[in-house]
Amino acid sequence: MFLIFALITLLGAVAMFRSRNLIVAGLCLVLCFLGVAGLFLLLANPVAAALQIIVYSGAIVVLVLFVIMLLNSHEEEPAEHPRRIQRWLGALAAAGLGAGACKAVLSSPALARLGQEGPVKVMDLHQVGVSLFQQHVVAFEAAGLLLLAAMVAAVALVKKEL
Amino acid sequence: MPTLAHLLHLSPETLWMVAKVLIVFGGPFTLASLLTWVERRGAAMIQDRIGPNRAALFGKWRLLGLPQIAADGIKAFLKEDLVPPHVNKLVFWVAPLLTFLPAVMGFAIIPFGQSFVSGGQTYHLSLLDPGNGMGMLYPLAIGSMAVYGVLTAAWSSNNKWSILGGMRASAQMVSYEIAMSLAVITIFMRAGAYDPHQIIQAQWGLWNVLPQFLGFLVFTTCMFAETNRLPFDFAEGEAEIVAGYLTEYGSMKFALMYLSEYVHMVTASALIVTLYFGGWRVPFVADPGVWLSVLAFLVKLLFFCWLFIWIRWTLPRFRYDQLMKLGWKVMLPLSMANFLFHAFLMFKRG
Repeated sequence: MFLIFALITLLGAVAMFRSRNLIVAGLCLVLCFLGVAGLFLLLANPVAAALQIIVYSGAIVVLVLFVIMLLNSHEEEPAEHPRRIQRWLGALAAAGLGAGACKAVLSSPALARLGQEGPVKVMDLHQVGVSLFQQHVVAFEAAGLLLLAAMVAAVALVKKEL
Repeated sequence: MPTLAHLLHLSPETLWMVAKVLIVFGGPFTLASLLTWVERRGAAMIQDRIGPNRAALFGKWRLLGLPQIAADGIKAFLKEDLVPPHVNKLVFWVAPLLTFLPAVMGFAIIPFGQSFVSGGQTYHLSLLDPGNGMGMLYPLAIGSMAVYGVLTAAWSSNNKWSILGGMRASAQMVSYEIAMSLAVITIFMRAGAYDPHQIIQAQWGLWNVLPQFLGFLVFTTCMFAETNRLPFDFAEGEAEIVAGYLTEYGSMKFALMYLSEYVHMVTASALIVTLYFGGWRVPFVADPGVWLSVLAFLVKLLFFCWLFIWIRWTLPRFRYDQLMKLGWKVMLPLSMANFLFHAFLMFKRG
């Protein structure tokens, strides 16, 4: 199961940046997100899987695709002066990010508990809510404030006369 | 159940799983094809016409036009599968699947009857057993994927009418999703749970529709918008954009997309029944048993399917700006008011 979902995720991601067509790339991104949702399910976290689908594939990518469809050109333009250094910098940044993520996973305390067999506790909405509003309440409120500011800014940008 | 499983040389769990998959994927599909007939005959009834009555089995039995379903199916299968030359081939082929899959997957979480015990084991009448952790988030997630069918079909057709219809439909689906989610969250809050089995359990004695009538109204309206049914039927419009995102589709691809609208309708009705009308509960019966509970669920489901058709042939369409105004300026505030009101009530009671 893990291999199937991992393959879906990787194929979606690779197909996304290989595709020259923006809409097809967006659809591949959705495929990638669905794979990630499947991986969340395997990690006994169905809430994260559902939210991944609702928020990322269901709302954000739809809006992005929507805007792209309203624009004229759906094809990516080839770069006028391809620069080697950009490509290398990009690869370097990706490698750094990958190494950081691997290190974070390998050094996490949950890894030591992996070998021990035990009843898997399924994450549910209740636990998510409790941890959000007890341990991470400041971050939660800050994110809410940020989103509100973004919303006000978006309205102010779009509206001609306030 | 165990004896039947023994006869088939299967374990009871496997047999039950196979049976459930057949019911959950075949049931809504069959119902949807029946609904196409109900829609035509119902429309005819409301408009004082006769409706389809020419198709006949072996040229003899007309059965109130029921063989029309089979005739349509055979026609769709045998028609030439035309792919216009200017379309994006890959996406054009995938779009009917993207429309159809979310439609049939949504039903998997709905409990369509009371759980029963047989041979010391409990059998739940929903494809996903209770306690899976997804609960009612699952239909929301699957429902939000339904936009892609419309979007991809519209864009890949490479046609002005298609893209206009697709844009309208997807904008409408995204707009109404917010009000719908808020209405559903109010249900979670009142029931203290988000698993459909527990939501139905919590509706013993009093169906949610009475204390949350406002939420019910908002949710049902949003369901009409999500399924692209009249009065929010903006994906199509014969006078302005031909058949909208379906314009370039023909034969079985068209039939699949057309049918998925009806499957969506069945799933939407099932959601309304589960959230607001007590699911499989029978009034004044504490323990209805399997058959009675399934029957009760079916009756409620069919009523709401009929309501979808009834409204389609009764109400005129909205204009597009009216639809957006209704969604953002009426439905969303109403949904929020409903949510805050119930939160306040719960806070008062402690």
